[in-house]
Amino acid sequence: MRARLSRRAVLRGAGGVALGLPLLEAMLEERAWAVGGGFPTRFGLFFWGNGTLPGDPDHPAENPDRWTPVGTGAGDAWALSEQLAPLAAHKERLAVVTGLSMKLPNPYPHGSGAAGILTGKQLGNEALESFQAATVDQVIAASIGQDSLYPSLQTAATDTLGLSFSGPNARHPCESDPFALYQRLFGDTFVEPGSGGVVSPTLGLRRSVLDAVMGDLGRLQGQVGAADKVRLDQHLTGVRELEARLARLEEDPPDLEACTRPDEPLSAYPDVGDSPQIDARNRAMAAMVAMALACDQTRVFAHFLTEPITEVRFDGTTGGYHSLTHDEPNPQSQVNSVVIACMGHYAAFLDALAAIPEGDATLLDHCAVLGTSETSYGRTHSKDELPIVIAGSASGKLVQDVHVRTNAENVSKVVLSLVRASGVVAGEWGVEEGHVTDGLSAVEA
Amino acid sequence: MSWLALLVGCGLSGLGPADDPHTLPETSTTATAEPTPCQAPGAPRLLRRLTHEEYARTVADLLGVYVDPDSFASDPVVDGFRNDANALVVGDLLADQYRAEAEDIAAQADLPSLLACDVTQGDAACATAFVEDFGLRAFRRPLTQADVDRYMGLWLTIVPEDGFEEGIRWVLTAMLQSPSFLYRVEVGAGGRFSDAELASRMSYLLWAGPPDDALLLAAEAGQLQDPDERRAQAERMLADPRARRGLRAWLDDWLGLDTVPGLPKDPLLFPHWVEGAGESAREQTLRTFEWLVFDADGDIRDVTTTRTTALDRTLAALYGVPAPAADGFAMTELPPGPRIGLLGQASFLARQAHSVSTSVTRRGLFVHTALLCREIPPPPTNVDTSIPEPSEDAPTMRDRVAVHLQDPMCASCHAVTDPVGLAFEQFDGIGRYRTAENGVTIDPSGELDGEPFADAAALGRMLHDHPDFASCLAETALRYAQGHPLSLDEVALAEWHREGLAEAGYRWQAMLTDIVAADGFGAATGEGR
Repeated sequence: MRARLSRRAVLRGAGGVALGLPLLEAMLEERAWAVGGGFPTRFGLFFWGNGTLPGDPDHPAENPDRWTPVGTGAGDAWALSEQLAPLAAHKERLAVVTGLSMKLPNPYPHGSGAAGILTGKQLGNEALESFQAATVDQVIAASIGQDSLYPSLQTAATDTLGLSFSGPNARHPCESDPFALYQRLFGDTFVEPGSGGVVSPTLGLRRSVLDAVMGDLGRLQGQVGAADKVRLDQHLTGVRELEARLARLEEDPPDLEACTRPDEPLSAYPDVGDSPQIDARNRAMAAMVAMALACDQTRVFAHFLTEPITEVRFDGTTGGYHSLTHDEPNPQSQVNSVVIACMGHYAAFLDALAAIPEGDATLLDHCAVLGTSETSYGRTHSKDELPIVIAGSASGKLVQDVHVRTNAENVSKVVLSLVRASGVVAGEWGVEEGHVTDGLSAVEA
Repeated sequence: MSWLALLVGCGLSGLGPADDPHTLPETSTTATAEPTPCQAPGAPRLLRRLTHEEYARTVADLLGVYVDPDSFASDPVVDGFRNDANALVVGDLLADQYRAEAEDIAAQADLPSLLACDVTQGDAACATAFVEDFGLRAFRRPLTQADVDRYMGLWLTIVPEDGFEEGIRWVLTAMLQSPSFLYRVEVGAGGRFSDAELASRMSYLLWAGPPDDALLLAAEAGQLQDPDERRAQAERMLADPRARRGLRAWLDDWLGLDTVPGLPKDPLLFPHWVEGAGESAREQTLRTFEWLVFDADGDIRDVTTTRTTALDRTLAALYGVPAPAADGFAMTELPPGPRIGLLGQASFLARQAHSVSTSVTRRGLFVHTALLCREIPPPPTNVDTSIPEPSEDAPTMRDRVAVHLQDPMCASCHAVTDPVGLAFEQFDGIGRYRTAENGVTIDPSGELDGEPFADAAALGRMLHDHPDFASCLAETALRYAQGHPLSLDEVALAEWHREGLAEAGYRWQAMLTDIVAADGFGAATGEGR
């Protein structure tokens, strides 16, 4: 356990140090815990690395299609493929779209695909850090997340910073440690609905300290160049969000029926051999993300099962996953087993969302979850036949239990549909070849 | 190298004979307190957030409190470097982690050692003295009156109800979240870094940690603008054990050593890759460099040819050589054979390989990009980058990668990388020596820049004297020192340092001293990129 400062201090207001922020108070007044009546629509990203096995139509015997569902249309007209089979329990909540392409150039293996799908814009250079625009989760969070305790949450089931950016060099890193996420979301500052607000005496002290920190940040801003000013702004925003959150904890949250403190995860998930405990970490993260949504602590999440190009060694395989996609001879049975495992982890994540009742539906019904990867065929880094598995209807705005087959449509279209379904008024998505003004009507209800 | 042209703009007169550019600019060896009109390019004005490793070492030096760098969201890696200023940003997650860590540290801090008074009898004067004294070391500069007022203001709001000690702990908590602690503020004034800024530039380069009291005193006395004083300080600092961790931090980034412990290897194919093998491999490389730079104070290029290295029992078993007598590492001489130098070490051979096999391309690529600082583009997409499986016609890796050379598009890069990578085929995917593959004797010959070599040892000797290797050493050192990708001016500066390195017999300590003593080290030139 972490040592803590003693708590002899009594609760203090924000004015402990006379460096108060009028802006903060203004923000607090504007914010509400939940929309009145009905349940909010949420957006989520579920990302896995290294793609699928979409097959080679010219050599179906050596390299068969293991990804594309059988049949198109709704309900009984389509059936899950071998690799999608683990999602069977959620088939009625899925919209699988195949035949989509990332239309931007593809100079950086893995990176171009990831940035192309998630931002509609090319990477700055071959480094995955060089995202040039906000990712879809951050675009949505900027619009529907601002009233939440956490504008968005970033989580991962393996060690990665993830790919959630609000702009160049503005990454929102993933929490990949379940216990740390638990402490952050449901630790000693968690407010049980109806409990009358938290009265931890350290809260006021923490806010006084953050006031002093913000004073320092403001002073330093006067001494630095434009680029550093931007970074300090970002830092200041982070501290300000942190202080606003502390202030919010002194309020009484709404009585959301499904909101309870979830089970505490293990304090550590050590690797077994050289494989991480992906399944256990993924389930622990899913349970906490689902409860954070149910408690309306956030309305946007980005969950990275792995990062692109991941070299994680999955159970039952002989090598790092990325290496396998290039080295394993056809028909790549080990790669196939990993893709199937990834879809099993996606199903486990959806299980957690579907397990929470909201009215006469479930939390999942009020979500739009985008399941995707940075490529289709990892071996060639193909940007055609991209995997898109949407779960949830965004409170009825998206069609469900359907396989939509497109003829090399722009993947930006489906992203725009999801942005709009999440409640964002957006006229377009992406730039250059990634630019679209229309969504993919076949997924819109 | 285009650096000469870059200097022409400020006039070559007085800088030395034009046909001997290696003497330019000579300010690093000539004591001049006043900068000469024509400068070697300086460093951009930048805020540089401490990396998590630097944070942990800074807290350890300041307070003796241990911080696990992994408790923060990990630092991004740019060009292999974790200290890239532009990528080191603070969002709300990291701000919250800094808050929690600062509270933990404050709770553990030994206050009596930080205070001039008894904690039970503290007063405002004692608190002010703490703010000023601890602030000087935490912010690595003297506090302004506004700083003191801000922290004393915080202390005053807490002390009436919670007492002196609690007030001090919360002030400490606030200082550890201040940007003056979290960032190295290197913004300069009038084109020069301040003495305090120079002290941090020196200590984080040489020690990967904060300045000590002697360095802060030299800064306070205004001595660090003088290149000779900086040189003397650098020599003192390099004799301190903390210089070893500075070297390690640079090596971890440059050679990607921190990724070696987590390499996935097929346990059936590679039973010698036992638990801890990766950590041992990283440690071997670090210790080899440490020995060469600090114990032998020798030619750093010898790292490509030396048979003197550090081994533990795990690595001795992996390499098939006699194990040290005791647990842990011991310096030893490798027996004659192709395994020499850095490129005979598992930290390279296992890292630049696949989980189930070697990788001719990755190994060749590493030599070109990491050791010779060349740029080679990534493979085009929509190309199947796999190679044929072994067959009767093509039993060895050399036979199988030949496919790379059949397509001109592939060959444009693979003709550069593969003939180098083939040198290492006598070492398998974790670096074990072998002479045959699928029953066929391995041919480890190849070529670098058109020059043929017989095997990995011959390649190591060729690299030792390759001019690009020395240039690359200087470039990576400067890349690390500056905290951002090098501009053309800075590449020119690196080339100038390489000349200094050559003149000093390629002794790395001399190189680091030169970097610190150069005029450019004290010059703050324009905004960060």
